[in-house]
Amino acid sequence: MERLIEKWQDKISEVVIGAKKPIKIGGETGIYFIDGEDKCPNPPSVAMEVWDMEPEAWPETLKSNFGSTLKDPVEWAKLCADKFSTDLICLRLASTHPDTKNASGQEAGKTLEKILKAVSVPLIVIGSSAPEKDNEVMAHCANVAKGENCLFGIATQNNYKTLTAACLSSGHSIISEAPIDINIAKQLNILICDMQFPADKIVIHHATGALGYGLEYTYSIMERTRLAGLSGDKMLSMPMINFVGQEVWRTKEAKTGQKDTGILWEVVTATAYLNSGADILVMNHPKAVEEIKKAIKKLIYN
Amino acid sequence: MEEFKITFLPEHKSVYINRGTDLLTAALKTSIHIYNSCGGEGVCGRCKVIVKKGDYITEDSGRITEREREKGYVLACRTTPKSDMEVFVPEESRLGDLEILTEEIKAKRLAGLYTPVEEIEEERHKTAAKIFKHGPLSTKIFLKLPSPTIDDNSGDADRLLGEIKKHHKEINIIQMGLSNIKKLPRLLRESGWEVTATIGNRNKTTEVVLIESGDRSKKNFGVAVDIGTTTIVAYLVDLNSQKVLGSKASYNPQVDFGEDVISRIIFAQHEKGLEKLHHAVIDTVNTLIDNLIKEVNLTLDDVTAVISAGNTTMTHLLLKIDPTYIRKEPYIPAVNFMPVIRAAEAGIKINPRGLLACLPCIGSYVGGDIVAGILASGMDKTKDLTLFIDLGTNGEVVLGNKEWLMSCSTSAGPCFEGGGLKSGIRAMKGAIQNISIKDNSIEVQTIGNLPPKGICGSGIVDIISELLKNKIIDRSGRIKDNKICKVRDSEGVKEVLLVETKDSAIGKDITIDENDIKNLIHSKGAIYTGIEVLLKETGFKKSDIKHIFIAGGLGTALNIRSAINIGLLPDLPEKNFIFLGNTSVAGAKMCLLSNEAMEAAEAIANKMACFDLSTSAAFMNNYSAALFLPHTDIESFPSVKKILGA
Repeated sequence: MERLIEKWQDKISEVVIGAKKPIKIGGETGIYFIDGEDKCPNPPSVAMEVWDMEPEAWPETLKSNFGSTLKDPVEWAKLCADKFSTDLICLRLASTHPDTKNASGQEAGKTLEKILKAVSVPLIVIGSSAPEKDNEVMAHCANVAKGENCLFGIATQNNYKTLTAACLSSGHSIISEAPIDINIAKQLNILICDMQFPADKIVIHHATGALGYGLEYTYSIMERTRLAGLSGDKMLSMPMINFVGQEVWRTKEAKTGQKDTGILWEVVTATAYLNSGADILVMNHPKAVEEIKKAIKKLIYN
Repeated sequence: MEEFKITFLPEHKSVYINRGTDLLTAALKTSIHIYNSCGGEGVCGRCKVIVKKGDYITEDSGRITEREREKGYVLACRTTPKSDMEVFVPEESRLGDLEILTEEIKAKRLAGLYTPVEEIEEERHKTAAKIFKHGPLSTKIFLKLPSPTIDDNSGDADRLLGEIKKHHKEINIIQMGLSNIKKLPRLLRESGWEVTATIGNRNKTTEVVLIESGDRSKKNFGVAVDIGTTTIVAYLVDLNSQKVLGSKASYNPQVDFGEDVISRIIFAQHEKGLEKLHHAVIDTVNTLIDNLIKEVNLTLDDVTAVISAGNTTMTHLLLKIDPTYIRKEPYIPAVNFMPVIRAAEAGIKINPRGLLACLPCIGSYVGGDIVAGILASGMDKTKDLTLFIDLGTNGEVVLGNKEWLMSCSTSAGPCFEGGGLKSGIRAMKGAIQNISIKDNSIEVQTIGNLPPKGICGSGIVDIISELLKNKIIDRSGRIKDNKICKVRDSEGVKEVLLVETKDSAIGKDITIDENDIKNLIHSKGAIYTGIEVLLKETGFKKSDIKHIFIAGGLGTALNIRSAINIGLLPDLPEKNFIFLGNTSVAGAKMCLLSNEAMEAAEAIANKMACFDLSTSAAFMNNYSAALFLPHTDIESFPSVKKILGA
């Protein structure tokens, strides 16, 4: 029997991240991993999280993989790049949150500068989820990293203007996040583009849910986004990112389960998102990163 | 219990109330009507009054600003006296007097709720007369009965009924009550066998309602009433000539007990709640009828029929039927097809034996006002696909043609009637109904060209459209810094200054803030999504719609271009939109004048299907897409895309 192969009228935009060893994400002209249809020039990438302070809430099973580097973000970044061969590093500026160390934008900028010097993999830089503080910190950091072509986040419907302006003037890409609502995602992209920001520098985040914690909602919204993007909706034809590690490692299963539970949870969650169209998976556990990279290879080359 | 004297200024009306009774209740007792959308729950912040003298206890409310507090402002519903008090009720907290307005509307062409009889109604009346045969709810016939003889010896009543049947061959079943029969022997003989019989249509049978001596057939009048959630409109109609002799409008005083139908249903469950709601509406209807007949020198006895069109809840409250189960799953009203009753039974004062008919309702949330609207618009007679939108608090949308009708209620909220907005007022004198931004300045136009008091529904639509076009707000409704108008921060919310204090009639600035814009976006999103869902459910496209009828308080004052710009109405050629004004009262009048029209209304109610949006998955998804200006999908608004240069 003849196989019907879907032809899509549009393609997903291709976003370039990084300056020294830039990588490309997105650019799909079909659905991933469907034989004959998956004309996807860039395989999905994996990023590993690096914090600018020790993540106290992480369980021991996760922390133990990084040893003393958890106290030194530069060493931590090097470890991820060299030993765990991550595609990107996701720097989380947790120390700037008013409830943690309330570190200044200048301090965060210094850490960022050091990491940029120490590693050549492209960087994702995200704030501490304190909207007002983020505006101050991210504006400064975007300027510090000018020309490095990073991916900055996270713009939301209620707080996108400062970050968009900063990314625009420093030439970075931006993560636009919506609360599992395809309409709000599109609205936010329209608002960002209305500020003259180029559409091919936007990466969508649909508020990741871990396995058992709302994964199916994110999954179906991502599928719908991808189908809309391939069908010609320019304001949804962007690559997508998932913060898998962040969500998995705060589930009670990952925190209190057996040694491998968290790893499996992270791999399973990430694999599901690969199938719904994720272009960047931000992860935590080195073993999970290793397994998901294998999975990507298998899915693409089989 | 301790009693305090509360004096309301500037009227100097006083009332004694017990300790613990709030000022809002006190004001009601003096018949000073103070705005309150929430039914005295302290939520809406509309019942601000200024304490001039006396001690009191008041609950803190975020609705009163620091500056207002210093001036003595309190929320009337949250304030109780500790001594005698003097309280000033400012202009912006009052319900205006609409009855004054009826005088002015002819000139101002503020159609919609206040559709001037001379302008639109006569026009439609002619078409209606062509469609429906004249046959009013009650008819008076002058009869010269043959005197009885030994040979012609049928009884008095039989003689009368026989004579009526001779004149009206179409009557099958006719009946007469005992009280009328008892009066007959004497009446017939004293009047020399010349009497006027009033016959009424009661549920497919004909009833002799009244017998009077002599020829009174020229004096037969009826009243058509539209009982809206916010406004009540009444037309006095000559049932013989079919002419409208006068129209009057008034607020629905039930507003004092809550702004929407749900809060009124809840209020009805309070002790004596139903009683209060019922009396609020019939007192108003009686006052309107009284004023109407006095204007043309008639007496109450000359009015023999009343017909009402209202949504399901309003109809229940008019008849003092408990509306509780309308709100509870599976949402069942006590009655949809209300039989014709005696008006007196519902407390309406006309001829004591006069009749009251109610336009049939379709379901809990689509009622007789919409049936009347469909009837008046003639939508049920056209073969073209037609859309009917009632821009009221319930925001009903109907799609269909002569074959089928599908309706839904979108619960749009009171936005289009000026509710839920910081500077919002109903369409009254001094309400801003249009604005234009030219040469970097804002020009406002008010009803009656008077100093502005606030913004009414059509004004808010126009304002948002202008702000969007001039890029003062972004497509999510957020206010941007700009060179055209003053943007400032008011307690953490950005607002645009429209009219400065010195130019306004209320002694303070008229503004629109981001919350107002958000409210309007929610209202317009609900209506637009209702339209989309109906189209989807029936498998039609927007471009299939040939006519769009718009009814309601916004009516002819609504700028269609602006309504399309903000995504309230679908992007179709402006010529396809037709304003109908108050179709509820127009439809009620048609039924008053023609039994055929009433039968057509019943057919509409039987034919119309209701689609429940609360169980529709598509609604929620489409709704969040509609919460953008004009819409998340700008491709469905090509003309707006062009205007915005997006």
